Amino acid sequence: MTSTILDQIRIMASDLFGVPAERISAASTPETIETWDSIQHLNLVLALEEKFGVQLSPEEIEQMKSIGEVAELVEGKLQGTPN
Amino acid sequence: MAILIQPYRQKHEAAVVAFNRRLQSGGAEPDLVFYEHATPTWLPPDGNSVFNQYFVAVENTTVRGAYALKWQNFWFADGTVRAIGYYHHPLSEGIINKSYALVGTLLLRDAMQRAPLLYCLGMGGYNRPLPKMLIGLGWAHCLVPFYFRVVRPYRFLRQMQALRTSFWRKLAMDLAAFSGTGWAGAECYRMAVSFRNARSASHEVKTEREFSDWVNPLWERARLECAMAAVRDSATLARLYPAGDSHFTRLKISRRGGEIGWAVVGERRKDSKYGSLRVGSVVDCLAASGDMLPVVQAASNTLEELGMDLIVTNQSHQAWCRAFEAAGFFKAESNFIFAASKKLAELLDPFALHKPCLHFTRADGDGLPRNF
Repeated sequence: MTSTILDQIRIMASDLFGVPAERISAASTPETIETWDSIQHLNLVLALEEKFGVQLSPEEIEQMKSIGEVAELVEGKLQGTPN
Repeated sequence: MAILIQPYRQKHEAAVVAFNRRLQSGGAEPDLVFYEHATPTWLPPDGNSVFNQYFVAVENTTVRGAYALKWQNFWFADGTVRAIGYYHHPLSEGIINKSYALVGTLLLRDAMQRAPLLYCLGMGGYNRPLPKMLIGLGWAHCLVPFYFRVVRPYRFLRQMQALRTSFWRKLAMDLAAFSGTGWAGAECYRMAVSFRNARSASHEVKTEREFSDWVNPLWERARLECAMAAVRDSATLARLYPAGDSHFTRLKISRRGGEIGWAVVGERRKDSKYGSLRVGSVVDCLAASGDMLPVVQAASNTLEELGMDLIVTNQSHQAWCRAFEAAGFFKAESNFIFAASKKLAELLDPFALHKPCLHFTRADGDGLPRNF
């Protein structure tokens, strides 16, 4: 995984969840970020789709259980590989 | 769980029935059930510009959620007419089973993909889950004011269950009813308003069997005062209020032989919050700003003559609000919310400036078949 995509997603998540970027890592999940609820999950999906120009299926949206998984998913989409 | 959101087909009907049963047995409110027929009975997709589409969220063969999308052309202040989606009846298994909590967001996202210019209307107040979600997503929103006029104060005071919520309130309302102070207050207010608006009495009111071409010049004139309004030309009105539909009364208001406006009025279905009151609604209306008051008066008088105890309406346009107030209507707390997706809100930017000129009524929601 490129650090660039992970870093961009960390910054994006920081803005959406109102948490300092340094407190967000690949291991961060809705359990560790209190403000990551279903609404912010959808906001994250919409922000990812807009920023990276990707389309996420309902199944992929459900699989986004951590910031690391989100970054892997986006990277896979950008490389055209299925996740 | 692997959820797929797809158009509702006949093959899903049994699964929707089972979905409804699960919601009800899980304790969902009685009205939280989805349509059990795949083809909409109200505004089916038959080539008309106003139509409904239904979608279901399916896991394998089990339905876990559903929503409806009503399409309609809207006029905007820049002179464009665009097809806009109205998101309604979203239902998720997440209501009764936390494992499906994400289904509600998936439904909304699906609707936003199908109709980026999307709005929601009504929703029952800001404390409900859907408006909370929309606000969380950054949708523009405002309350659509609610107005009422009490025609029969005695019956209103005795039957209005939504206000008779405590012993002391009931006692106060009963005292006002039995002593006649409620009637006297309402009459004084009505007389004062009638005196103030005496000049507006020179109009003719006719009940029409159907809307036809005469409404088109009115639409072309009135739309110029709207930042956003559902197209209300003769074809659209004939679609929304078809000639055979006896739930509505269609009024044509004229002055010196020329049409100045129209209104659609009807009696609402019985609702426990209104007790046994007969509640009339000014469902829809259109006129240029100088002609709104006679339209409101005609609508109100018609409902009064039909025997209504209480008349209610929701109006978003500031000129209509002023007309209802001038006709003796009181403004009350509203739980009727208009919310616009970010893409739609871009067309209404700045929203605070355009908000007073949005023309939304009960006719722009899903209330026509539900409430009448």
